Amino acid sequence: MNTDTVTALDSDKLFAARLYAARARPYLATALFALHTVESRQVPTMAVDRHWRCYVSPGFVDRTTVEDLAGVWVHEVSHLLRDHHGRSDRVARERGLTGPGERLRMNIAADMEINDDAYGDGLITPEGAVQPKTLGLPAGNLMEDYLRWFRLGPRTQGLAWLDCGSGADGLDRGWELGPDGAHGLSEQQRDAVRFRVAQGITGHPGSTPSGWRRWAEEAFHPPQPWRELLGAAVRSAVSAPGAGEDYTYGRPSRRSAGLPGVVLPSLRRRPPRVCVVIDTSGSVSDAELGSALLEVAAISRAVGGRRDLVTVVPCDAAARVAQPLCRAEGIELLGGGGTDLRTGFAKALRTQPRPDAVVVLTDGQTPWPSSRPSCRTVVGLFPRRYESRSYDEDDPDYVPDTPPDWARVVEIGSAPVSR
Amino acid sequence: MPTRTLYAATRAPSETSQLDIAGALLTLLRDTTTEPRPDTQLEALTLAVAADLPVLLWGEPGIGKTAALTQLAAALDLPLTTVIASVHEPSDFSGLPVVGDDPAEQGIPMAPPDWAVRLVRAGRGLLFLDELSTAPPAVQAALLRLVLERRIGALRLPPGVRIVAAANPRSSAADGWELSPPLANRFVHLQWTHDHEVVVRGLGGTWPRATLPRLDPERLPEAVDYARRAVCGLLTGRPKLVHQLPGSETRRGGAWPSPRSWEMAMALTAFATAAGSSREVLSLLVRGTVGDGPGLELLAWVDRMDLPDPETFLADPTAGELPERGDLRQAVLDGVVAAVRNRPERARWDAAWALLVRALETGAPDLVVVPATTLAALRRDDWDVPASIEQLAGAISLSRRADRAATAAKARR
Repeated sequence: MNTDTVTALDSDKLFAARLYAARARPYLATALFALHTVESRQVPTMAVDRHWRCYVSPGFVDRTTVEDLAGVWVHEVSHLLRDHHGRSDRVARERGLTGPGERLRMNIAADMEINDDAYGDGLITPEGAVQPKTLGLPAGNLMEDYLRWFRLGPRTQGLAWLDCGSGADGLDRGWELGPDGAHGLSEQQRDAVRFRVAQGITGHPGSTPSGWRRWAEEAFHPPQPWRELLGAAVRSAVSAPGAGEDYTYGRPSRRSAGLPGVVLPSLRRRPPRVCVVIDTSGSVSDAELGSALLEVAAISRAVGGRRDLVTVVPCDAAARVAQPLCRAEGIELLGGGGTDLRTGFAKALRTQPRPDAVVVLTDGQTPWPSSRPSCRTVVGLFPRRYESRSYDEDDPDYVPDTPPDWARVVEIGSAPVSR
Repeated sequence: MPTRTLYAATRAPSETSQLDIAGALLTLLRDTTTEPRPDTQLEALTLAVAADLPVLLWGEPGIGKTAALTQLAAALDLPLTTVIASVHEPSDFSGLPVVGDDPAEQGIPMAPPDWAVRLVRAGRGLLFLDELSTAPPAVQAALLRLVLERRIGALRLPPGVRIVAAANPRSSAADGWELSPPLANRFVHLQWTHDHEVVVRGLGGTWPRATLPRLDPERLPEAVDYARRAVCGLLTGRPKLVHQLPGSETRRGGAWPSPRSWEMAMALTAFATAAGSSREVLSLLVRGTVGDGPGLELLAWVDRMDLPDPETFLADPTAGELPERGDLRQAVLDGVVAAVRNRPERARWDAAWALLVRALETGAPDLVVVPATTLAALRRDDWDVPASIEQLAGAISLSRRADRAATAAKARR
């Protein structure tokens, strides 16, 4: 870009665009103003680094309209707010992606995550912005998902010039000022800005696009994979005092020989018994149920349970899913019938010998027992976000109860693949 | 056995020389140097230990928690005692019953283990309870009494003993170690991670040597005052933050805000201030004590506290320093305009205009637009427009330009 060398940076135009962007997206104003602009003749357009500096090409500012520039401002600041550099590094480590080609793919995927709901409502889509539909992909997904779905090829040929800087894909560029350069934000300062933006969004959700609302909710509490949460909940339920491995006075300790006349407890194992109550009403899909049930079986095996110690109580006529699965896993399947989870609980607690933990897999559209059951309860909840949840003709205001306080609730299948 | 010893003795020359060579190789491998390098996690740990709060290090096995503790012990000049929790029985922490001559008359004392006796005799030391997460629940229960009440059997650990515990994160813990909310609330949770660069450089022969924070005796009263202002200022405006039990499964077992943990956060803020630590260190400590959300709010509040006071600018617009960073600068300008709104006086209004001109001359013009519009709306009928407003013409044209762009964008849609 030799023409760039003759133009000076039109900073008034650039800042007018920033002002316009901040007016169009008031919730991003803090972040937009926190960016430190650096004039650079080596970036093709505008780019950000991970220290919240924004590199601007004077030539690009010169040939772009204010309204288009505003869109680019929002785009670049979105990379930083959504921590695309950190997530790119994580994905690269997890999936073993190396080389500039992969980083370009990450930049494209990150752009698609931003562009599918950043524009409109007063902001113009900048020219050449890559949208998921450009590559024939569905909108509204995360960068990590997009990254699985496309490779570099003829369709992405036109995107090879794309360069949003290390803020977008985590790859340091030669022209960036680096961590020691002036006016960078420290990690804590970056967190503080992101926090303030997230707080602004959750404080006034109003017309904020759903993508940003989701970001704000998860910005500082990224959802954990449900498998780990369910695993931790079941483990702590079955290994709590009274179950699993613990001290007992039932047998003398091996140390007793050294202390005649003293009764010391010894370490004994009592494999935990887990009873899984499955809500097999039609609203739970076979795939969801299958993965959750397998997970519970695997966890209880990991904590030392034998397969005959895992019992399954299906809570509806539709035991068709559970049955083949349990046969394959060697799990004993008990009874059936009853669409009410309360009967399922009652049946689970009546099994002999008594279970150490009850795991309930349900979508939550059911009445719950009114009192706390006699053993630990973990609820695996399949999230349902229907417009008209469980409509009842006789009582249109009926809203199903949320799981009670005494149960530990894990939402299943609600977490993104990788965060 | 004796025959073999005899055999080894006769073959001694060649055998020992092999071992000597192996020893030489080991010496070469261990021959590493150190370089100074700031280490925020170690600094945070040092401050929390200095503040005598129970610390829980969360980290995957094998990432250098023990190495960090060794360095910390050296820095604080405390002898280090490591106890691997998972190989002990609960009675090792609650005391072993020792039957005397007449139990009915004298009772059965609970005898403490040898390391505890040695710690008490020394009067000072750093006790590191490792592998908390792989110990059976009853052992964990006994250990928590040790951490929180500092009692082992009949012994009470002297105040010179500091305790640090370590646990594996929930996802990688083999069995059900999990803190209940009341226990989690008593700890400072520090996430221990390794730095890729440090590890590679260390394996290459150069390990980092952290310079650890030193408390400055002259700053103590100032630090206490600062910490009190920070925590009380935040909680006055946000009463909801005082107590929030963790609701969702994701946040279980971590830090959460309560009057107790706020008190800890205040102590840690004072320690970090007295040591002149960076915001990164304070961030780790505060977020590990009251949780991410409230911790970040406290940090944001502290940032605001550090901004110049609007009244100093209104007294003399040329006095203080305007912050360089755009969002902070706008916060200051907004604060000044808000102060004028609260007490509208002619002189204050003029001073605010002068400050806006100064801001326009020294920084990005778009930041000035909103405060200038708000300030203009505050004008009373008998106040003349100051001459300096001419210089704000640039900002007004910038605003017009943005308006024009909005119209153009509407037209293009």
